[in-house]
Amino acid sequence: MKKPLIVLLSVICLVNLTYADGARYVSAMKKNISKMDSLYTLGDMADLTNSFLRIGDAEKNKWLPYYYASYLYVITSFTDTVSANKDGYLDRAVKVLALADSLQPDESEIYVIKGLISQARLQVDPMNRFMKYGAEMNANLKKAVMLDQTNPRPEYLMGMTSYYTPEQFGGGVKAAKVMFESALDKFNGFVPKDELMPTWGKKQLENFMKQIPQQ
Amino acid sequence: MKNNYNLLLVFLLFPFLINAQTKVSGKISDAKMNPIPGANIYIKDSYDGGTSKVDGTFSFKTNEKGAAVLIASFIGYKKYESNIDLKKGEMKIDIILEEEITQLNAVVVSAGSFEASDERKGVILKPLDVLTTGSTADLYSSLNTLPGAQTIGETEGLFVRGGSAAESKTIIDEMIVQKPFSSSVPDLPSRGRFSPMMFKGTVFSTGGYSAQYGQALSSALILKTQDMPNQTITAVNLMVLGFGGAHTQVWDKTAFSVEGGYYNLNPYNNVFKQRVDWDRSPSSLDLSANFRQRITKNGLLKAFVSYSKSDLSLYLPDLDNPPSKTFFRLKPENYYSNVSYRDIVGDWNLFGGFSYSLDKDKIDAGGNKISQDQSLIQGKFTANKKIFDTAYLTFGAEVHNTLYDDTYNQFNVKLEEVYTAGFAESDVYFTNDIAAKVGLRTEYSKILNKFNIAPRISFAYRLGNYDQLNFAYGRFYQTPEKNYLVQYDKFDYENADHYIANYQYIGEDKTFRIELYYKQYRNLVKGTIYSYPYFNLPVVPFSNDGNGYAKGIDIFWRDSRTLKYCDYWVSYSYLDTKREFSNYPTQAFPTFAAPHTFSVVFKRWFESISAYLAFTYIHASGRPYFNPNNPEFLGDRANSYNNLSMNISFIANWFNNYSVIFVSIDNIPGFANVYGYRYSSDGRISNAVVPPTLRSLFLGIFISIGQSNQNQ
Repeated sequence: MKKPLIVLLSVICLVNLTYADGARYVSAMKKNISKMDSLYTLGDMADLTNSFLRIGDAEKNKWLPYYYASYLYVITSFTDTVSANKDGYLDRAVKVLALADSLQPDESEIYVIKGLISQARLQVDPMNRFMKYGAEMNANLKKAVMLDQTNPRPEYLMGMTSYYTPEQFGGGVKAAKVMFESALDKFNGFVPKDELMPTWGKKQLENFMKQIPQQ
Repeated sequence: MKNNYNLLLVFLLFPFLINAQTKVSGKISDAKMNPIPGANIYIKDSYDGGTSKVDGTFSFKTNEKGAAVLIASFIGYKKYESNIDLKKGEMKIDIILEEEITQLNAVVVSAGSFEASDERKGVILKPLDVLTTGSTADLYSSLNTLPGAQTIGETEGLFVRGGSAAESKTIIDEMIVQKPFSSSVPDLPSRGRFSPMMFKGTVFSTGGYSAQYGQALSSALILKTQDMPNQTITAVNLMVLGFGGAHTQVWDKTAFSVEGGYYNLNPYNNVFKQRVDWDRSPSSLDLSANFRQRITKNGLLKAFVSYSKSDLSLYLPDLDNPPSKTFFRLKPENYYSNVSYRDIVGDWNLFGGFSYSLDKDKIDAGGNKISQDQSLIQGKFTANKKIFDTAYLTFGAEVHNTLYDDTYNQFNVKLEEVYTAGFAESDVYFTNDIAAKVGLRTEYSKILNKFNIAPRISFAYRLGNYDQLNFAYGRFYQTPEKNYLVQYDKFDYENADHYIANYQYIGEDKTFRIELYYKQYRNLVKGTIYSYPYFNLPVVPFSNDGNGYAKGIDIFWRDSRTLKYCDYWVSYSYLDTKREFSNYPTQAFPTFAAPHTFSVVFKRWFESISAYLAFTYIHASGRPYFNPNNPEFLGDRANSYNNLSMNISFIANWFNNYSVIFVSIDNIPGFANVYGYRYSSDGRISNAVVPPTLRSLFLGIFISIGQSNQNQ
């Protein structure tokens, strides 16, 4: 009577533990991802970035923790008002993204971040960096589209760039709007492969589009 | 049964039992006990950890038990690892992170040099500055706005700190360019042969440069060509002087581009009054091709070939028989090619390059037929490796084979030179704030049949986040010019010692730099080459007995913050120099040096009209010129030189093509600049040396097809 119960409980426990291991990753990631909408200070960002890095280092074969850490470094570079610091964050974003890239080659979402990094580099010093990083950003975002036609994020970023680029340089609000609408269509149809895959961009785009003056 | 319930209870409570957490807290700081915020402190192979706050404190809870490794990491510091034993309750651990000495964090040794780069921080100029400064979009004319460079209107070349143009060398992808300028007619300078668009990085050294380069007593201009282009693009340009086009095709790992242009100054010279009596206005044809191939992850093969051909003729005043004139025609042809490969193999950073140039000048001077051919085959390799934790070693070697073939009517002179050099240089970082570069170069010239050994050493000491001190010493050797070598066969190297001290502040949007230097010239070549009238000057026999010095102060200030949308820089150079060389009978202040040079560059971006406006003002005090009537050699000085030029770039988007309309005007106020005077042999007639036009105007349209691909 005793024995089978112990065996049964042990089995349940073991199953629980192995399940818990995968579940631990998923739940830790979900918890972190849910925090991404409520980052206000540079401290919050560093905290969350470090948390993703810890998961990545402990898991060793998961690309998403590094993906999110890299994305957060870019967000931090946009947020930090000291322009001398910006390139430093982006250097780290590049380094961490390379880890993600080696674990998951030819991933559209990784090329989106590559494009985002180029965009952030450009913004540090647009006058001098326009030539180099503008072209680099386009190449990365185009590759992202090539790898996954349904991914709405490359088009969203292209639209943002266009929006802030004067018409003389080939940008403008009109051109941006076309891209935004197409990106929004894609966002509405986009189904992430699993619950940890990136979903950012949709809300930001919807909010942004409300602010565009109607012409 | 009761026991079973107990067991069940244990299982139910298990998660809570293992959740008996440890709280780890403490403070993280650097060696100077300054708090480090943002560091990641965690238990290895777990998710548990925390981030340090602004005051360096951290605190986190972990469910791990027993032996564990605590890690603390932050960029710029060595990773901290410590074995700890996690017990229930609280643990307090204070951590000190050791600074990591890396080339990225460390101070950059920068005595004597100005760098323009996109890639490195702490540079004084950006590649775009090179393009938008001065009125001609010429690399060399924009360098003339930096302190240390002299403005010499009548000749091309870089005249640096009292040095002649021959003492400056242009280096493209590690290899010396035999002729960076096309040949020119007396008093009419030519432009640089290479487009500034070709280069991603420019280092202009006004002294004390690295042991990796040699054969320049005064200055080295070190240029690095662009890597892989990013996009397929076609460009068309139309100018008042001609037209050109370029196409770049980019594949996955390969890129190829071709460029061509035809320029003819005849229409322009007919519209704008010329002070030169042209027979045939200058015309030229330029062709070039560029190839890039990515071989491995880091390995890039670069190849560049170019060909140019030009033709001009004019009548030069013959001061000995006025009003007659001497006919002069010049037809230069230049071939240049450069192939290089750079890769990282294991710990080694390797470079290998090969270059071939052939420069042919055909001259008709008053019926005398002259041809001057010069070819150069050059090979170079360098290897770089981290040898200790904080030291890098670079070494390499180069070989040049130069052939000169000169014909003057029926006379022909041939000369062959084989030059070999080896160098080793070490970059040592004592801390992130103190760095040294120590190098040694040795050279052998076949024609001189002599070796030399040139030590170079420089230091940098970082004072604060933005400022540093630099010191440099170096010895520089140069083989005498061909014109002397063909005359006499017992020459030795010329040499110069440079001593440099510099303070620089490179803050956000503000740069200040002051540099003091002393340069000692020895063994300068002396001798009278030309047999045509040398006035009342004594004939100087050939020897290496020349010498001289140059000392001075260079000051540079740049500010792109104070005035909105504006960027300006101011340069001032004070130069005191004397030398005895060439056919100088005594030591004298040379003709190519001005005691005071002052320049201001001002740029403004106009958002509303998408235009970039740049003004350049240069003032240089008068330079000495030779007057045979003055018993004091080079005792006369010309008036000071002034020039205010302007350029505007309008940026437009025509049919979705990115376009730039470029307009520039040189010498807007019409300053009557006189560089010096030339005299007849009897000293009775003199002629002012002046620019070919009082003002000059340039207009061009540059269209890039395929660049505005945001719209696609």
